[in-house]
Amino acid sequence: MAQQANIGELLSMLDSPVLSVRDEVTAVFKENLSSDRGPMLVNTLVDYYLETNSQPVLHILTTLQEPHDKHLLDKMNDCMGRAASRLPALSLLGHVIRLQPPWKHKLSQAPLLPSLLKCLKMDTDVIVLTTGVLVLITMLPMIPQSGKQHLHDFFDIFGRLSSWCLKKPGHVTEIYLVHLHASVYALFHRLYGMYPCNFVSFLRSHYSMKENLDTFEEVVRPMMEHVRIHPELVTGSKDHELDPRRWKRLETHDVVIECAKISLDPAEASYEDGDSVSPQVSARFPHRAADVATSPYVDTQNSCGSATSTPYSSSRLMLLNTPGQPPQTLSPPSTRLLTEPPQATLWSPSMVCGMTTPPTSPGNVPPDLSHPYSKVFGTAGGKGTPLGTPATSPPPAPLCHSDDYVHISLPQATVPAPKKEEKTDSARPCLHRQHHLPNDRGLEELPGLKGSVTLSDLPGFLGDLASDEDSVEKDKEEAAISKELSEITTADTEPLVPRGGFDSPFYRDSLPGCPRKTHSATSGPQGTSVNPEPFNSSLDKRGPDTPKQAFTPIDLPCGGTHESPAGDRERQTSLETNILTPSPCKIPPQRGVGFGSGQPPPYDHLFEVALPKTAHHFVSKKTKELLKKAKGNTEEDYPPSTSPAEVLDRLIQQGADAHSKELSRLSLPSKSVDWTHFGGSPPSDEIRTLRNQLLLLHNQLLYERFKRQQHALRNRRLLRKVIKAAALEEHNAAMKDQLKLQEKDIQIWKVSLQKEQARYSQLQDQRDTMVTQLHSQIRQLQHDREEFYNQSQELQTKLEDCRNMIAELRLELKKANSKVCHTELLLSQVSQKLSNSESVQQQMEFLNRQLLVLGEVNELYLEQLQSKHSDTTKEVEMMKAACRKELEKNRSHVLQQNQRLDTSQKRILELESHLAKKDHLLLEQKKYLEDVKVQARGQLQAAESRYEAQKRITQVFELEILDLYGRLEKDGLLKKLEEEKAEAAEAAEERLACCKDGCSDSVTDHHEEASGHNGETKPPRPGGARGSSGSRGGGGGSSGGSSSELSTPEKPPNQRAGLFSSRWETTVGEPATSIPTTVGSLPSSKSFLGMKARELFRNKSESQCDEDSVTISSLSETLKTELGKDLGVEAKTPPTLDGPHPSPPNPDSVGQLHIMDYNETHHEHSEG
Amino acid sequence: MTEDSQRNFRSVYYEKVGFRGVEEKKSLEILLKDDRLDIEKLCTFSQRFPLPSMYRALVWKVLLGILPPHHESHAQVMMYRKEQYCDVLHALHVVRFVSDATPQVEVYLRMYQLESGKLPRSPSFPLEPEDEVFLAIAKAVEEMVEDSVDCYWIIRCFVNQLNNKYRESLPQLPKAFEQYLNLEDSRLLSHLKTCSALSRLPYDLWFKRCFAGCLPESSLQRVWDKVVSGSCKILVFVAVEILLTFKIKVMALNNAEKITKFLENIPQDSSDAIVSKAIDLWHKHCGTPVHSA
Repeated sequence: MAQQANIGELLSMLDSPVLSVRDEVTAVFKENLSSDRGPMLVNTLVDYYLETNSQPVLHILTTLQEPHDKHLLDKMNDCMGRAASRLPALSLLGHVIRLQPPWKHKLSQAPLLPSLLKCLKMDTDVIVLTTGVLVLITMLPMIPQSGKQHLHDFFDIFGRLSSWCLKKPGHVTEIYLVHLHASVYALFHRLYGMYPCNFVSFLRSHYSMKENLDTFEEVVRPMMEHVRIHPELVTGSKDHELDPRRWKRLETHDVVIECAKISLDPAEASYEDGDSVSPQVSARFPHRAADVATSPYVDTQNSCGSATSTPYSSSRLMLLNTPGQPPQTLSPPSTRLLTEPPQATLWSPSMVCGMTTPPTSPGNVPPDLSHPYSKVFGTAGGKGTPLGTPATSPPPAPLCHSDDYVHISLPQATVPAPKKEEKTDSARPCLHRQHHLPNDRGLEELPGLKGSVTLSDLPGFLGDLASDEDSVEKDKEEAAISKELSEITTADTEPLVPRGGFDSPFYRDSLPGCPRKTHSATSGPQGTSVNPEPFNSSLDKRGPDTPKQAFTPIDLPCGGTHESPAGDRERQTSLETNILTPSPCKIPPQRGVGFGSGQPPPYDHLFEVALPKTAHHFVSKKTKELLKKAKGNTEEDYPPSTSPAEVLDRLIQQGADAHSKELSRLSLPSKSVDWTHFGGSPPSDEIRTLRNQLLLLHNQLLYERFKRQQHALRNRRLLRKVIKAAALEEHNAAMKDQLKLQEKDIQIWKVSLQKEQARYSQLQDQRDTMVTQLHSQIRQLQHDREEFYNQSQELQTKLEDCRNMIAELRLELKKANSKVCHTELLLSQVSQKLSNSESVQQQMEFLNRQLLVLGEVNELYLEQLQSKHSDTTKEVEMMKAACRKELEKNRSHVLQQNQRLDTSQKRILELESHLAKKDHLLLEQKKYLEDVKVQARGQLQAAESRYEAQKRITQVFELEILDLYGRLEKDGLLKKLEEEKAEAAEAAEERLACCKDGCSDSVTDHHEEASGHNGETKPPRPGGARGSSGSRGGGGGSSGGSSSELSTPEKPPNQRAGLFSSRWETTVGEPATSIPTTVGSLPSSKSFLGMKARELFRNKSESQCDEDSVTISSLSETLKTELGKDLGVEAKTPPTLDGPHPSPPNPDSVGQLHIMDYNETHHEHSEG
Repeated sequence: MTEDSQRNFRSVYYEKVGFRGVEEKKSLEILLKDDRLDIEKLCTFSQRFPLPSMYRALVWKVLLGILPPHHESHAQVMMYRKEQYCDVLHALHVVRFVSDATPQVEVYLRMYQLESGKLPRSPSFPLEPEDEVFLAIAKAVEEMVEDSVDCYWIIRCFVNQLNNKYRESLPQLPKAFEQYLNLEDSRLLSHLKTCSALSRLPYDLWFKRCFAGCLPESSLQRVWDKVVSGSCKILVFVAVEILLTFKIKVMALNNAEKITKFLENIPQDSSDAIVSKAIDLWHKHCGTPVHSA
């Protein structure tokens, strides 16, 4: 609570008249706000403001920072809900919005907007509605994207309010409706500018209804006459308009300007792009010419300024003003005040240009400040004529700058061109030309060029602007200064005007307004009908006064009452001409002066030029209108196309006139004035009405100011661009200078190059000469060298010759040497021969001697022979014949021998061939033999195998036999044991019988054998043999045993023999002893047996094996029998001859055996 | 030259194309026409090709040494052989080892025993294992050869060859069998090993009796062609082929005894194929014998 109280105190202190206290308190609040985030403080502040309308609180509220915006909006929303606080809340909202807080984008989402819209739709209070509409219009460019949601609300509001304007529901005062109408008109412009397609479709649908048709005819249609066709209607679409992307790249002021562009209303319209219609220019043109004629400086100025109508006119205006300056200075202060502002405005651009500080707040420049400038210019103007050298004189510097600005608006205007213009004093052609330029290009080229600058370079300039923030700050400072100043002035000059809620700049506006009022008051009483007259007089060609009248209301209210919509227009114009005229609102005063002073024609033209585009456009438009209606209509009936704003203007003007009149008369003028003017309203009511009106006007004014600020913002941006362009221009110039320098350099270099080339050529020549010299030297040297070469060649050939000679000589030497050697050899040979020959000689001598001796001997013998010759011849002949014969004989012999030799040789050859044949044969034979051998071996192998088989067979047989014998012996032994007793008794008998049998058997056997030996061997019957043996088996087993023993001759059976002998011993006794001897000679018998066996084998190879064995057995049998016979004989004999001679038969038997053995044939022969 | 001209000129191409044995008979006849028979060539021939049955006895006799290479002495040698046969037979009759009622095979056995000096003391003596082998072989040969003298001699020489020439190599055959079986079908071998049947396979029947009694004579004589001509390795391949042919059945049997029993009594119908495959296998592993000439 304490805090609350504290705040209350503080709030009350806020309004203290002491400035320092106020500042402190404000600071305290701000601190609190920055520290406290709660909504309470803001709420209290708002409440307080609503209560007291306190200015400092408003200031605090409008500068609220981010976190409090929500509270503020909420609070205002609350207040909006209550009908009582609605209006203050709206006005607060308007204040807040106009300052464009950083959180303005939040407005679209805030609940405040719907409630505002609702209020606009529902409320019936005109003041609230007007205020709300103005706030809405202000807000729309800030939140263009919100249109998507609330578009129809906007349209509905428009529809409602437009119908209001016509229907006037309730007891709405007419005067309010004018305000309302103006605001609706503004809304129309805004909506049409921002959402043309949607808006047009809305209009179409809304006013197609019959009940609305009247409204359309009466209200909307006139409005439509003040707008051009929006380009978006052609290119855009409903959706495109609402596309946030479209709005994103547009700032608030951009939107405002966009809206202004489509307006045809001179108060609203903006012709920044120069897309104004040119016919007006042409209409205005003659005045220009006249103006030019009046001013001597026009030419220079024109030359300085360039082709576009705007700068041209402005610059001309400046110059035009300059000459006008001295008289003005002479005029009383009041008039001076009036005149000065325009000068200030005129001069401010140059100042701005020079200092590059764009004017921030309109009308900030106080008269004091502007005046020196005007003076300065006045001096400059004095020197103005020789302005041809801008670099030397200081004043032209700003001119140059303006020139630069001109460059932006019309780049094709060049610096040298103005210079030329200056020299040519004759202005007309220049002017003509310069006017032609804008005229021709007004529509076509300028927009394009302008557009190219503004659109394409805008970002760059914007960037520059951002960098040059200090300038903005400067603006602010200036604004602050001017504010204070204006406040002071207002305080001084106009204590009467009680405008607490007004902004300071407008205060100052009011300052010039005050004196103006007086002027206007002077003219005012004359009525509107009076005003045209001076116009008519001054402007010969304009003729009708009505246009001027239509024009004046705009000017006058501006000067008179601040609420007048002239501010609106002023701001618009300021947007346009900010660079040149920081306070365009001062133009109307000048007009006023024009009016008042009674020198309208020149000033009128001046103003026309001073408000370059708008004014010119406006004026031309007016003239056009007037020309249309000139003769027929001198009355005050306004053309139907008169915009609501104009109506309002006029209203205000009239009000102001009345008011001032009353003021001058009465202490309480307003009542009487209002009364008299509006007729019959009770004073109290009138005061309320007036208050409300005032409020409305204030609102309107605020709205206009906001617009103006937007324009200012834009102007600053454009200025930045201009500066940038100037900088670029400078840069270009610098570059050109550099280029020139470089060209110079290049030329210098070229000269040096030529020099160098010359030197080079000289050097080349020198070198060439040197080369030729050297070449010649070389040639000489080469020649020398060749000579030397030839000489050396010759010498070499000589050398070779010498060498050859030496070689030849050497060869000869060798030959000589060899010859010497040869000769030496020969010599030795010769010497040898010599010695030989010597010895031969000696011999020869010896032989000669002998010969001699022999010759002597021969002679001696010859003598002897001659003596004996006759006897020996016959003998010799005989001998010769004999020799011959012998020779022949020998020859024939030799022949014979030769023949023999031949034959023998032939024989040898034959024999050799025979031998070879034989050898061959032998080989063949050998081969054959081998073959045969192999064959034989094969056969032999087979035979051997057979033999082997036989062996095996015999072995088997033997085994079998032995086996059988074994069995037999076993049986025999048993029998022996049984028969031994009987045997002894019958032994002799049996033996005899046995012997007889055996003898007969043996004899027959022997015979058989003999016959077998002699002829063919008869196969002896084995059965027989067996039989014999078998039969004998009974007779004598011992004998069988002996025979068996005999049959195996290979094994010398001594034991068996022994056995046999022992048996024989036992049986025979003595002979038995002898038998062993015979048996001892068995080898022979054995050999015989072997032979026999071999014979048998050989003979009976093919016979059965059995037969062999049989024969063998039979042989043994025969032997046995023989033996037995012998024995028998012996036995016979012994019985006869007794036993003493048992031995003889043994040898006999042996002999027999021998005989049998060796002389078998004999034996057989003897036997046979 | 004349021989060559007598041969069909296409024979070369037959062999190249793969028709085997087209010209065999003719070439064998050519071989047999030589006065002095070339034993080596005959060996090679009989190893390469199956012998025509009409010449089989003659070739065997020559290869076994029953007949000498010279045609001239054939008659005489054959006479000797016959006499020897008669003598031995007579001797056996004499010693009453054989009678007319004695089966011919036993007669051959006794004769062989007699000739080799192994004749037992009594015919009632129990037979030795080698006698059993002889009997099996004799039975097989008896089927192949009509003449009893030839038959006896062939049996005799064949058995002699087994006992002398192959004395060393026969015991090696089981090992070789294992090796080739591993090469051909290791799974089968491992199966046999797991059944421990490998050591109990009828090696006696296969290698000592040379499949006598195991294969029908018609197939057997083709195997014996190779054996007679000097290669006992064929036996291994026949054994391997038998196992491969009856692989499924053998694999199905898990018992060594059953396997042995089955192998001892293999079905006779596929024997011809077995032998053909075995010969191919033999050629594959040991190469085709080439004429040394």
